[in-house]
Amino acid sequence: MPTSTPPSRPSVTPSPPWPEAAAILASGLGGPQQRQRGALRLALLLLAGVGLLAAAGRQVDPAQRPLPAAGTPGSDLTIGAVIALSGNANLYGQDQRLGITLARNWFDPEVPGGLGQGPSAGAPTGGPPAEAPQRIGSKRIAAPMGAPRRALKLQIEDGGSNETTAISGFNLLINRGVAALIGPTLSQQAFAADPIAQRRGVPVVAPSNTAKGIPQIGHFISRVSAQSSVIAPLSVEEALRRDPTIKRVAVFFAQDDAYSTAETAIFQKALAARGLNPVSVQRTQLADNDFQNPITAALQQKPQLVVISAQAVDGGNLIRQLRELGYRGLIVVGNGLNTPNIYPICQRWCDGILIAQAYSPELATPINRTFLDLYRRTNAHQTPSQITAQAWTAYQVLHEAAQRLQQRGGFNGLRLGQARSALMDELLAGHYDTPLGPIHFQSDGELVQGRFYVAEVRMGPDGRSGRFTLVHETSLPPPATVPPIGR
Amino acid sequence: MTVSLLQILLNGAASGGVYALVALGYTLVFSVLGVINFAQGALFSLGGYLTFLLMGGRIGVNGALPGWGLPAGLAFVPALLLAAAGAGLASLLLERLAFAPLRRRGAEPLLFLITSLGAGLALVNLLQILMGAEGYAFPATALAGLPDSINLWGARIRSIQVVLLAICAVVVVALTLWLERSRQGKALRAVAEDPTTARLLGIDSDAMVRLAFLLSGALAGLGGGLVGVSVSLAGPYFGIGYGLKGLAVLVLGGLGSVPGAIAGGLLMGLAEALVPAEASGWRDALAFAILFAVLVLRPSGLLGRPLREKV
Repeated sequence: MPTSTPPSRPSVTPSPPWPEAAAILASGLGGPQQRQRGALRLALLLLAGVGLLAAAGRQVDPAQRPLPAAGTPGSDLTIGAVIALSGNANLYGQDQRLGITLARNWFDPEVPGGLGQGPSAGAPTGGPPAEAPQRIGSKRIAAPMGAPRRALKLQIEDGGSNETTAISGFNLLINRGVAALIGPTLSQQAFAADPIAQRRGVPVVAPSNTAKGIPQIGHFISRVSAQSSVIAPLSVEEALRRDPTIKRVAVFFAQDDAYSTAETAIFQKALAARGLNPVSVQRTQLADNDFQNPITAALQQKPQLVVISAQAVDGGNLIRQLRELGYRGLIVVGNGLNTPNIYPICQRWCDGILIAQAYSPELATPINRTFLDLYRRTNAHQTPSQITAQAWTAYQVLHEAAQRLQQRGGFNGLRLGQARSALMDELLAGHYDTPLGPIHFQSDGELVQGRFYVAEVRMGPDGRSGRFTLVHETSLPPPATVPPIGR
Repeated sequence: MTVSLLQILLNGAASGGVYALVALGYTLVFSVLGVINFAQGALFSLGGYLTFLLMGGRIGVNGALPGWGLPAGLAFVPALLLAAAGAGLASLLLERLAFAPLRRRGAEPLLFLITSLGAGLALVNLLQILMGAEGYAFPATALAGLPDSINLWGARIRSIQVVLLAICAVVVVALTLWLERSRQGKALRAVAEDPTTARLLGIDSDAMVRLAFLLSGALAGLGGGLVGVSVSLAGPYFGIGYGLKGLAVLVLGGLGSVPGAIAGGLLMGLAEALVPAEASGWRDALAFAILFAVLVLRPSGLLGRPLREKV
C-alpha cells in the first residue's frame, strides 16, 4: 500500500489584508485557498467599513430634541418642501417652488437667510418684490407682548418625479428636524412617502395631491388640493352644456400614474351617470410621446368629446397630436394639465380645452389680489396657475397655524416631536382666508373648500402663451368625512 | 371597431423608421468592434436638443443658462443636419475617451458595455445640467407650409411623420448604397468581416472604427432631431427609451446586419401598431414578446448570420 504524504499546507506570510485582497482582485491569480481567504478578508473589511459608516451616520431622532427657547440660536422652526424639480413632473414643481417661495417671502420676510435651498433645489425664483404691495389679507400674528418670536425657515428639496426620490427627500428633511413638510408633488409619490411622515409624526400639507385617500393615510397628513372626484365632473358638465348632442366619448389616461388612473375612473363615472359610455378607452404611459397609434384608434370611433387624464408633458403632447390628426371636437382635461406650462407644449392646439379648477385668478379677495400682485411682479405680468396658488396656500396654512400657536406660547418647553403634534392639531383647527378662497380642514385632514371653477384655455396670437379664462363658478357642499386609515 | 390596414401600416412605418435609424447606429459600431454602444440613446437626446437650439430655441429656467439661445434660428433641415453632425462629433469624442483606451489594451467586450453605459449616463446628466429637466417643444412653425396631417384613403398621418419617414428612408438607402458601393464603405465592411485581414490589406482599421462612431452618432442625432420636432423633447432621458427600442431592434434584426436593422425596426413598429385599442396598455409588452419569440425560434435574429465558432 503506497504511503501518501499529505500535501503540505502552503505557508501563508502574514500581510496586511487589503493589499492582498486588492492584488487578488486585480490579478485573479493565486491558489484556491489563498483566493478564498483573500475574498473572506475582503468581505470582512467591506462589512467593517459599512459598519463604521453606519455608526458615523447614526443620528438621534430629532423628534426627541427639546426645542431651544425662542429667540436663542437654533430656535427657528423649519418648514420642509419636497417638490418635483426634476423628471416629468418638474413643470408642476417649478410652479410650486414659486408659490411656496412667494408665500415665504411674504409671510416671513424678516427671517435672515430663512430660505434654505437644498443642493438639488436649483436656481431660486420669485425673490421678494422690489416694492411689496400693501399687506392686506395676511393675518400676521405676533408673539405675546415682548416675547421673542420663533421664525419660520424654508428648506426646499427636489423630490423628483418618482416614489424613491420623494421618499429620500422626506427622510432627509425629517432627519434634519423639520417641523412640517409640504409635498410631495404627485399623488403616486404621496402614497409612498406620506406613510413615512405619518410614522415619524411629521405634519404634511399636500399642495397638489388630488387622488382619493391621501389624507386618510393618517392623522398627520392633510391637503389643500381638492379631491379630483369633487371637481373633475364639472368640466364634463360644461362640455355637455355646450354640446348636448354628445353621445360618443373617447377617454385617454396614463395607466402608470396613480393620479391619472384615479381621475379617469371619476371621469368615466361622471360620464356613465349622464348615460355616456366611452366608445374608446386608450391607455398611455407617462413617458410616451408618440400617440399616433392610440389617437388613430380612437378617432376611428368618431368621438365628439375627448377626456384626458395625464400629466402636463404627455398630456400636452397628446392634445397637440390629437388636433394635428384632425380631431376638432371638445377636449376636457384633468388636473394634471392644470398648469400654464402646457402652453409651450401643445401651443396653439391648447386653445379651447376645458378644465375644472380649484383656483381662479379672478377671485376678488384681498389675499388673492396680494398673491396675484406678487406673482406678476416676479413673472412678467403672467397669471398664476392653480398649482402655484395651492403651493402658496400650503405654506400659508402652516405659517398661520405656527403663529397662532406661538401667540399662545404653544412651543415653549416642547420637544420637536411634541411641537409637530401641536402644529398638526392647530393646523386642523384653523380657518384660513387664502387665494383659493376661505378653506378649513375636516378632522381627517381633508380640505373643505366651497368654490370651484371651470376654465377654458385661450391661447394668444403667438401660439405659445395663453390663459385659463373663467367660464363659470360653482359652489359645492363639503366632502364626506372618511375614517382615517393609519391613525 | 377595426382600424384600417393602411392606417396600421402607416403607424407602424412611422415609428419603425425611427427604430431602424437608431438600430443602424448600433449596427455600425457592433459590426466593426463587436460591442454594443449603450451611449446611443444619449446621443439621440443630444441630437434633439441641438436641433432645438439651432432652430432658435432658448434654455428653460432650470438650465445652466436660463433664457440663453442663439441670436437667430436656422430652418428645420439645416438645423437637423448640423445637429446630426454635432452628435456625430460627440460620438467620436466618446470613442476617443471611452472606447479607444480599452481597445488599445485589448479589454474584454463587457468592459466596453460598462464604459459606454457610463459615458451615456454622463452625457445625459450633462444635458440635464445644461438644459434643465423640463420638456421643450419646437415652435409650431418648424414645418411651416405643411398641413398638420395628411389623409390617405381614409388613413391619417401627421405631416411631420411623413417627413420623418421620408428622411429615414433616404438615410437608410444612402447608407446601404454607401456601404455597398463606396471605397470607404467597402473598407468598413472589410474591417467588420475580419479586422486582421483588413489591416493586412492596408486598411486603417482604427480610422474605420472612428468613422463607424461618427456615422452612428450622426444617425442617433438625426433620429433625435426628427423625433424631437415630431413629439417634443420630454427631458434629457427621452432618448434612452428610443435607445432601448433600438437595441431590441438590433437583436431582433440580427446583430451587425444592416438589412436586419431596417427589417427589425419596421417589424417592431408594425407590432406596436397592431396592438388593438382595447389592449393599448400592453403595446410595449407585446412588442417585446415578439422579440422573445423570434429569438427563441431564431437566436441569430431575423437576418443575422448564425455564429460559428472555429475550433
